Amino acid sequence: MSAASASLWRQRLFGTPATAVVTLLLAAAIAWLAIPIIRWALIDASWSGTTRADCAAGGACWVFVKARFGQFMYGLYPQGERWRADLAGILFALATAAIVLAPPRLRLKAVVAALVVLPPLGIWLLAGGFGLRPVETREWGGLMLTLFISVYASLIAIPLGILLALGRQSQLKVVRLVSVLFIEFWRGVPIIAVIFLASLLLPLILPGGVGIDRLARAVIGLGLVIAAYMAEAVRGGLQALPPGQREAATALGLTYWKATGLIILPQALRISLPAMTNEFIALVKNTTLVLVVSILDLLGIAQASLADPAWVGMNMEAYVFSGSIYWLICFALSRWSRHLELLGRRQHR
Amino acid sequence: MTRALALLNDKRVRDVVYQAALLLGLAALTVFFVRNASENMVKAGIASGFDFLWRNSGIDVPFVLTGYTRSSTVLDLFWAGVANTMLVTVVAMVLATALGFLVGIARLSSHWLLSTIAGAYIEFVRNIPLLFFVLFWYFGVIAALPAPRDSVSVFGVAFLNNRGLTIPLPEAPATFRWAVAAILLSWIAQALVAAWARRRKERTGQDAPVLAIGLGLVVVLPVLAVTWASLATGWDVPVLRGFNYRGGFVIIPEFVALLAALVTYTAGFIAEIVRGGIQAVPRGQTEAAAALGLRPGRILRLVTIPQALRVMIPPMTNQYLNVLKNSSFGAAIAYPDVVSLFMGSALNNTGQAIEIIAMTLAVYLVIGLAVSAFMNWYNARIALVTR
Repeated sequence: MSAASASLWRQRLFGTPATAVVTLLLAAAIAWLAIPIIRWALIDASWSGTTRADCAAGGACWVFVKARFGQFMYGLYPQGERWRADLAGILFALATAAIVLAPPRLRLKAVVAALVVLPPLGIWLLAGGFGLRPVETREWGGLMLTLFISVYASLIAIPLGILLALGRQSQLKVVRLVSVLFIEFWRGVPIIAVIFLASLLLPLILPGGVGIDRLARAVIGLGLVIAAYMAEAVRGGLQALPPGQREAATALGLTYWKATGLIILPQALRISLPAMTNEFIALVKNTTLVLVVSILDLLGIAQASLADPAWVGMNMEAYVFSGSIYWLICFALSRWSRHLELLGRRQHR
Repeated sequence: MTRALALLNDKRVRDVVYQAALLLGLAALTVFFVRNASENMVKAGIASGFDFLWRNSGIDVPFVLTGYTRSSTVLDLFWAGVANTMLVTVVAMVLATALGFLVGIARLSSHWLLSTIAGAYIEFVRNIPLLFFVLFWYFGVIAALPAPRDSVSVFGVAFLNNRGLTIPLPEAPATFRWAVAAILLSWIAQALVAAWARRRKERTGQDAPVLAIGLGLVVVLPVLAVTWASLATGWDVPVLRGFNYRGGFVIIPEFVALLAALVTYTAGFIAEIVRGGIQAVPRGQTEAAAALGLRPGRILRLVTIPQALRVMIPPMTNQYLNVLKNSSFGAAIAYPDVVSLFMGSALNNTGQAIEIIAMTLAVYLVIGLAVSAFMNWYNARIALVTR
């Protein structure tokens, strides 16, 4: 640290008597809070071993997280088949990278190809059948399930949300009214109630004999709610476009759908991308609610692991581990959303 | 044939056709769902209708504010759930607003360490699911509190342990009715004084001591009234007998955990709204006010906050609606709110899925509409008046 920056810090923290008093009080509070936490999590913690007996008293027992790592990631998914979940994850990550990095000319083709091929492929890999050993959704769980629900619910929510946003801006009164009612209804009710609703009503309103998987019910319920929130995010982008864009497109003889697909949506979606990313973060966080219909995502697995008699009293370790993963995912996404926002603002000038 | 095609090329005709098709499609879908539902319900032997509301509920509720008991009707159970939802929502809204303002102002502080800590708090709570906090407070913090025998004593009258917070209960609650009446009267008086002062200022340009009178009427009088009422009645102070406390009123751990989670989580979002609102006020406003000779306190009260509020009201409305909806997270730890009592217990007992789901969703839609109507009214009242 150079002398100049040292004096800057002294000015910042001890510039006036009042500043100095606040600094000292805050430093004392941090020390009082952070020192026991750091001691517990790092200094007094146990890292190696396989059973509870390997853990020292007074510190965190990360042996527990190591022993249950597989469950935190995959739930009860059969150990020999876990490569299928990994493969599906890698394929989705590669497709995302391909879409982001593709030259703009090919981007639309890449998106369409990924949307046609990946979703059914992912379900086949995870659920099995046609040569792969079937794995029931009851056995899915952990981080894998959190990501599965987030991705598949947004596959419902994004297209439906775009349609609803267009409907809300439509000049046709009935279309507008139907979209507004749909959006406001789902935005007005708690997501936990929607998950109950989907798990109870979907089997009731489908023809007798058509069974519907309980995981699928939760994904559909979440997808419908997030679609309503996505619609509002997209509406922001649509409203930011000058009306001249559509007027010019119409003047050139483009039909409604051609003008929308070629002129309006590409611009509007780019403006709404940060807001849509924020909705996706909300979706990742709300995925935890499937816990109430006994589907065990990452948080559900952490909660369920507390009942294991072999590892009594590991509450803090389970919460710290699962909480950190959620935090990392959501923090990374929110940073990306902020980056997009700054990028958009720069391009606009 | 060609004439029909020509008609389809007319935009007005086409618009009508599209909309009629949408309505027909929705109607067909509804008929399909309703027919399946009624067939499935006949098969399952469930009669539709709202008769079940007057049946005996037979469900125990650990925390009631209404006169509900085990032998009350299912409808009473519904209202007990609504009351519990309202209670946790209102208390959480007030506390989250207070904490959120503190954190938001700390974030803007010129003290580097203070604003960094506030920023870290905001980034911490906003990127973790609310359900995580609910479970953490319930199973991680409150379950780890000592048993009643070793309770944490708060001045010897209230006791915190793993069965909740036991607080003293007044023996004659009627004296508090007088205190509440006195508080309401003093608030009305404050509104009248403020209106009179505003009129006088517009007429003569003179300031009346509104702040002093207002503080007296809004804060000092109510404090006096509550103090008098608590002295006038006897108190049922909880006492440890055997393994648990007798007497007093037990605030159940589910309430404490849900409230703590809602407040700490929502405060992170409110803090960002407060920061954004204050930053949205152009610097020139503060500088111009200072140039006119206003002191910093008055600048904040008369120039900055009124303008910041205009930016803050719409997103604050969203946060209040979120608190209402998020109070349903209590269902995960069996806090007896309307979702867990009515959509959970009552639905399990009666099987009337459609009626119960409709009633529960209606609660949120109705309260939500009321909250946004109030906030819109308030927003219109403080909106910018251009003359």
